[in-house]
Amino acid sequence: MKSFLLTAAGLALATALSVGGALAQTQGGTLVQITQPEPPNLAPYVSTSGPIAQVTSKVFDGLLEYNFDLEPQPSLAESWEVSADGLTITFNLRDDVVFHDGTPLTSEDVRFTIMDVLREAHPRGIATFRNVIAVETPDRHTAIFRLDAPAPYLMMALNSAESPILPAHIYAEGDIRAHGNANEPIGSGPFVFTEWRRGEFVRLDRNDNYWRDGQPYLDRIVVRFIADASTRTAVLEQGEAHVAGFGAVPYQDVRRLEALDTIEVTTRGYEMISPIVEMIFNTQEPPFDNQMVRQAVNYAIDRQFVIDNVWFGYGVPASGPISSNFEPSGLFGRGIDFSVPDRIDIANRLLDEAGFPRGADGIRFEITHDVTPYGEEWQRFGEITVQNLAEIGIRATLRYEDLPTWLARTYTDYDFQLTSNFLFNQADPVIGVHRGIHSDRILPGTVFVNGSRWSSPETDALMDAATVATNAATRQQAYQALVPLVTEASPVAYVLELRYPTVHSTQFADVITSPIGIYGNYAFAHQR
Amino acid sequence: MKSFNARFYGNPRVYLGLAWLALVAVVAIFAGVFAPRDPFAIVGQPFLPPGSEGFLLGTDSLGRNVLAGLIHGARTTLMIAVLSTVAAVAFGTVLGALAGYYGGIVDDILMRLTEFFQTIPWFLFAIVLVAILSPSAMNLVIAIAVVSWPPIARVVRAEVMAVKAREFVQAAVVAGQRDMGILFGQILPNTLSPLIVTGSLMVATAILIESALSFLGLGAPGQMSWGFQIGAGRSFLRDAWWLVTVPGIVILLTVLAINLIGEGLNDALNPRLADL
Repeated sequence: MKSFLLTAAGLALATALSVGGALAQTQGGTLVQITQPEPPNLAPYVSTSGPIAQVTSKVFDGLLEYNFDLEPQPSLAESWEVSADGLTITFNLRDDVVFHDGTPLTSEDVRFTIMDVLREAHPRGIATFRNVIAVETPDRHTAIFRLDAPAPYLMMALNSAESPILPAHIYAEGDIRAHGNANEPIGSGPFVFTEWRRGEFVRLDRNDNYWRDGQPYLDRIVVRFIADASTRTAVLEQGEAHVAGFGAVPYQDVRRLEALDTIEVTTRGYEMISPIVEMIFNTQEPPFDNQMVRQAVNYAIDRQFVIDNVWFGYGVPASGPISSNFEPSGLFGRGIDFSVPDRIDIANRLLDEAGFPRGADGIRFEITHDVTPYGEEWQRFGEITVQNLAEIGIRATLRYEDLPTWLARTYTDYDFQLTSNFLFNQADPVIGVHRGIHSDRILPGTVFVNGSRWSSPETDALMDAATVATNAATRQQAYQALVPLVTEASPVAYVLELRYPTVHSTQFADVITSPIGIYGNYAFAHQR
Repeated sequence: MKSFNARFYGNPRVYLGLAWLALVAVVAIFAGVFAPRDPFAIVGQPFLPPGSEGFLLGTDSLGRNVLAGLIHGARTTLMIAVLSTVAAVAFGTVLGALAGYYGGIVDDILMRLTEFFQTIPWFLFAIVLVAILSPSAMNLVIAIAVVSWPPIARVVRAEVMAVKAREFVQAAVVAGQRDMGILFGQILPNTLSPLIVTGSLMVATAILIESALSFLGLGAPGQMSWGFQIGAGRSFLRDAWWLVTVPGIVILLTVLAINLIGEGLNDALNPRLADL
């Protein structure tokens, strides 16, 4: 009781103080972020392992930032201009940016980063910057991208998490894939890398020479790594950590934390990530070489049940390969609605027509259903799928293997019938959507590409048009036409758009300020 | 001296163990009668507490009947435990008997092999085996048997070596019986009592291994088991206590029952120990 009174008094005092200082943002404070799992390195320019950029996006800057409508905003580039033919992009860089070692940023750093690092060694950058044939540097603060074909999606891939701008004088020395600074990043961002104690935390301290005057507000960010899920929840509950996202907190725990006064939960901050839970059919082998069978399975899945009971409400039914996060930008289309009330009847009819009548035991045929080996949500999803398929006379047996075996089965040997899968749309459909359905992404041995091996000349042409079109309306039309065709063919059952919850302490404000959420740089985050 | 029956059935703890195990066995055998529906079937609202209408032990996170899961889990768990024990006992007995009977180089080779298996931490070994073989009921039996046979082999070897020196064995040798006839006809029947005790206790260990593997998500997919129920429910410990508590208690009671029976057998078969 005594401690409660003390706490109450402390809260009252804190409230009084914060009201008094409401006009200026409070300086100082240490924000503790939970990142799960611990990153393998701090080299986001050669590795796209998820946790890395949750740390390094605070250390590096990108040429651009983005608002929630996915519109580019100035960052290192004060202004920019895309030529009408889409083949020249001119960036005017700020002249007051210095790297953490005191060296000023110049256009040479941009050229080096794009041409020598990202275009050569970044797993996604190789594709994103493929059309960039040169970066010209007419003066210290102008960088001109020369392209041999338009690449409108490139303008969506320039934030600090995806394309961090590196100081050339440091990273140009030696092999970029095994660089001495791979675990001690040096950038120009709002926070300076100070220490990485393995298995425990990374400490980032305020960059006093940050180019945004007066920012960042925080003195320090500590990124903690806690392997046990219930400990992560407890630490957040007790206020020892202040922000966590990307499934770091079990979904059912988020519901409990949400009820606390000290914690806020938001599903914003994933608009440029757009995770989609889906199921891939092996379209080259019976029974799923039959479009009607694939559609029947698509109808059979009880999407809302999966959302409510596996992901505890953090999702919406998917309406096709493209996330509804792209709806504001128009790069979106709506396919067949598989969640109609009479979906089970439709599915049964489709299977009858496809020539798979029910046997005496009510079974039409048997399949093996592989489960994405990402943890227990995926097992529950698989168990629900087995039940859903039983309703339409398909007996499915679950198979749960380790990640390398599952990846080889799905993307190298194609030795599967139906498997769940998890793909991110990323910042643009060209980057995140085409890979799953385009014929040029049927690449045995390459993971997270077109595993269904379905394609059609018509859909390929629409995607090719959307890739190079410099006119937004043309791209929109292409995607509006593409999505109904893809859902009709159903090479993939798009089940739900996962809306990851980000849990953060009410002690801090303006933490999640961009469509990349905890991949943001926290320059604006401050204590309440 | 009292007879085996008097010593075994005169022990009240044996009764408790037998009663519980008989109940579990009956439930396992007639699982389809007690709970005709697929235990994975989604039959109600998720997270209904025990005592809810129609769900004596409540429902799990997907609305599956916990009681139906326990009933079908009894079948999976017992079947895997018994089969793997039978396999381990058979293999361990043959190896131990050969080593003990022939001695010398045969003994050296077989016992070094046994020791090799004994030096590997058995639970990690089971995990690795299941991961490599991919989880299925058959592979669980194999994995549990592979990690369980070494103690059997050692027990049998020691017994065979002791019995081999006895006069009736020498008489059989003199009478011209073949090695295999002597080993399996004369010696092994006289080593049965420690074997029965070790084997019965091993069923309990096998249940624990199966449950632990299922808890880790390495159980037979598509087959309900007690360990699976605990594994699937552990994330909800704070929200739905019954999901782990109920199958946990059932595992506890079953393992305890087998141990009581095993100890009862031990006391009855080794009267000198029992009198100590």
